[in-house]
Amino acid sequence: MARAREVPGFDCEEPFARAAARVVEVRAAEVFEHADGVLDTDEIERLHDMRVATRRLRAALEVFAPCFPRKRHRKALKRVKALADALGERRDRDVSFEFLAGIAAEAPAGDRAAVGALAERLREEQREANEALAPFVAPKRLKKLRRRLLELAKAARS
Amino acid sequence: MKARPVEGLDPAAPLRPNAERIVRTRLGELRDLAGPALDPAASTAQHDLRIAAKRLRYVLEIAETCLGPEAKAARRAAKDLQAVLGEIHDCDVMLPGAWGIESLREMLRTRRELLFRRFVELWREHEARDPWSALESAFTG
Repeated sequence: MARAREVPGFDCEEPFARAAARVVEVRAAEVFEHADGVLDTDEIERLHDMRVATRRLRAALEVFAPCFPRKRHRKALKRVKALADALGERRDRDVSFEFLAGIAAEAPAGDRAAVGALAERLREEQREANEALAPFVAPKRLKKLRRRLLELAKAARS
Repeated sequence: MKARPVEGLDPAAPLRPNAERIVRTRLGELRDLAGPALDPAASTAQHDLRIAAKRLRYVLEIAETCLGPEAKAARRAAKDLQAVLGEIHDCDVMLPGAWGIESLREMLRTRRELLFRRFVELWREHEARDPWSALESAFTG
């Protein structure tokens, strides 16, 4: 799992609102940097990294909530949460499928067909979750979200 | 599980006193949720504790450099809790889907039991070392 990036210029004595702007900018950048290839189910760690980055961004928005204009903050948080949920749905299937693939060879002979059928079902769910995720990680939508978050950061500074 | 609201945050005040308030609230949540989560059958309580550990971890990631070395130990402790509870949660997610495959269900139940024991050991270790109180003692506010 990717480590949280350090926030440049972070100063413990600066006002909470200024720290809010810095942290949200960095956490937002991390989310968008991890968006490439996230729909590739052969490289599930990419999705995992984007999901972790999205969780950190969401946490930052929640921690620094009083620093942002309420309505704009609520809208931004709602969109980040929706992205996080869509990533989570795909991630659950990634984890389940990987677990099953890991233990399939150990299954008793009598259960192997059922395990195989379950693996097929999980693959299908993974595919569906991926389709549901695709609109959330479309470049246009991500660009719009990024703009919204940068405006939020700007508002915290002023 | 909704996060407990944090009282008295001031956007104009420095980061440190605000971070201390948030961390105190998150630590309170963690402590309150731990007891119920120590019941092996309490999967909802374990899930809630995982969320609480995650919230604490993420605020410590943000403010760690302002809160002293105790914050690093507390963050690591929260991360360890989140990790083991996350694996328990994975078993809880997979079990319903394994319906009808008894060997798989048995594997998942056994795995869950082992992970739960690991969680209890970890919580007892944290109680003994108490990184949470060490962090609070370091607060200036």
